[in-house]
Amino acid sequence: MLRVDVSKQLGEFSLTASFTSEGRVTGLFGDSGAGKSSLINMIAGLLRPDRGIITLDGETLDDTAARIHVPAYRRRIGYVFQDARLFPHLNVAANLDYGRRMNRLADDPAQRQRITDLLDIGHLMDRRPGKLSGGERQRVALGRALLSNPRLLLLDEPLGALDAGRKHEILPYLVRLRDEANVPMVYVSHDAAELRQLATQIVMLQRGKVTSFGGVKVLSG
Amino acid sequence: MFDLTPTEWTAIALSLRVATVATLIGTPIGVALAWLLARRNFWGKSLLDAAIHLPLVLPPVVTGYLLLLSLGRRGFLGGWLADHLGIVFAFRWTGAALACGVMSFPLLVRPIRLSIEAVDRRLEQAAETLGAAPWQVFATVTLPLALPGVLAGMVLGFAKAIGEFGATITFVSNIPGETQTISSAIYSLIQTPDGDAAALRLVIVSVLIATSALVASEWFARRATKRLHGN
Amino acid sequence: MHRLARVFAAFAILCGLAFSPVLAEDDGLVVFAAASMKNALDEVDAAYTAKSGVKVAASYAASSTLAKQIEQGAPADIFLSADIDWMDYVATKKAIDVATRVNLLGNSIVLIAPKDAKIDQVTIGQGFDLAKLAGDGKIATGDVNSVPVGKYAKSALEKLGAWQAAAPKFAMAESVRAALALVARDEAVLGIVYSTDAKVEPGVKIVGTFPPDSHPAIIYPVAATVTAKPAAAGYLGFLRTSAAKAIFEKYGFKFLVSPTT
Repeated sequence: MLRVDVSKQLGEFSLTASFTSEGRVTGLFGDSGAGKSSLINMIAGLLRPDRGIITLDGETLDDTAARIHVPAYRRRIGYVFQDARLFPHLNVAANLDYGRRMNRLADDPAQRQRITDLLDIGHLMDRRPGKLSGGERQRVALGRALLSNPRLLLLDEPLGALDAGRKHEILPYLVRLRDEANVPMVYVSHDAAELRQLATQIVMLQRGKVTSFGGVKVLSG
Repeated sequence: MFDLTPTEWTAIALSLRVATVATLIGTPIGVALAWLLARRNFWGKSLLDAAIHLPLVLPPVVTGYLLLLSLGRRGFLGGWLADHLGIVFAFRWTGAALACGVMSFPLLVRPIRLSIEAVDRRLEQAAETLGAAPWQVFATVTLPLALPGVLAGMVLGFAKAIGEFGATITFVSNIPGETQTISSAIYSLIQTPDGDAAALRLVIVSVLIATSALVASEWFARRATKRLHGN
Repeated sequence: MHRLARVFAAFAILCGLAFSPVLAEDDGLVVFAAASMKNALDEVDAAYTAKSGVKVAASYAASSTLAKQIEQGAPADIFLSADIDWMDYVATKKAIDVATRVNLLGNSIVLIAPKDAKIDQVTIGQGFDLAKLAGDGKIATGDVNSVPVGKYAKSALEKLGAWQAAAPKFAMAESVRAALALVARDEAVLGIVYSTDAKVEPGVKIVGTFPPDSHPAIIYPVAATVTAKPAAAGYLGFLRTSAAKAIFEKYGFKFLVSPTT
């Protein structure tokens, strides 16, 4: 379970967010500039809050009062970026294996196979990121984050850079992820339709403030 | 015409050895400092940057003289090194390597720093989220992607080290077999009656070495870039 | 990762090569000798190596430059200076073994011009007008403040009353050989060098000789340094043999000691 209670000054407005995330997919919904990316960057540990506390499954990741800040590489929180950010000097197989190596995890060929099948990327193993389509890149990015064995997966508008056709192609994979991958997700999007399909819980953000919080129904409000 | 005398061969071998040592030792230091300058902010950062570039703008003889004052046998550091560690630089090939290393250091660091700065920090962030500690990010993402710049810096540094003269002759003088590099040998030869033919031979050798170094670096850099762009 | 490993391996091999004893070090003598000695001493050193098997590496430069280097701890075994002053200098710095010091050679200074110059023979005596002879051109010699040939030249010209007028036309080189090269290349219209230098440079001609009483006697002392290797004694001994004498005299030096065989 993720507990967030932070505030940070972002340019002209201040971001204040307080919520807990339970369940499989927490959707973070709001317009661009509402502070969604900054919020999940704080959860990931890539950005530090001015004030506040972030805990995950009881472990304190950030506590400004107690001066605690666990750096990103120790949080075991996976992150799928909008721009995929695959390592260009490694092929797909090496990209996928990166998280396992960095976290010094044992090789789990069964899990690798499962996720590769889930995302349909088995045939791309020897390719370099430069030779992948946008949709393929995003699926590999998903696989890479999952194979690092995270306890929480953050996704920052993963479909944002794709056209409608690609979005339709990948959405089913995300639904499968939600149902089969066993990892809680925080999913950032400005697209209500996407979230209606995926999310089990919604946090609505407007100009840095949480304006609603609840089940998917709040999207229709 | 292309018969090189033993003196000339010695000068060439010494130049290659001095430049190689200077580059091999300078590179790890250069990479570390380039990373510091590219990725970190700290008090005294611009002082460090200025200090690194000083040999580029100081007259070479001044740099050589400063080396002599500090690391000569009667220098404040040199005396200690010689007495306690048996390390002598002045008037030795090790000193020539040091002088060449110092003079070529700015040319080594600059391309490395630029190429580290060019590495997309977002990729480094992605690596962090995948569990990579800072040194791992450097070794597995930053350095491989900055490799063309590192190679370019190394070759530029090597070429400068081969050609270094002013600081070298001031710090280690011109002793055949020990500190007489190609440049110093040419310098002596042009003052010797009938030395012009030999001087010309060495000039040609020097141009050949420098050109091969540049061609090699181009080749390396192109191969590295191809890999990086996923081709 | 494997690519980086290969790069490191190449690195390591290069390091090994660079530090391997590819170049012969420390198994010969290092002689610091005045620049004017180059041709003669190269031949003497070759004869010595042929006879004794000991290699000699000679570093030639102005005696002033060499003396300062020895003072700074340069690893010379032998110092051959072109004047007494600089040998005295290193002696006061306690850098030479005074017991080995000997006045080995003598020389004379001459006025030279480029081989094809119109200037012909001149008599150099009291009231000699060097400035007028040089016209608009430069007179090349070693730095008159430090390099022995420059010092000799200045004192001779002062004695002859020619210094004041000629001083502004001087091109001060960092050694006598550099000055010689300037004249040979037609960059200077006149030069003052040792007679031994003029002999080995076909691009110049002697146009006048300075009277020996116009300057201090030109004496080349030689000595071993305090850090000299044991083989230095053998080398110094060889310099005094008649074999060495023959070579020095062939190049025009005066041999000041009684030769041993």
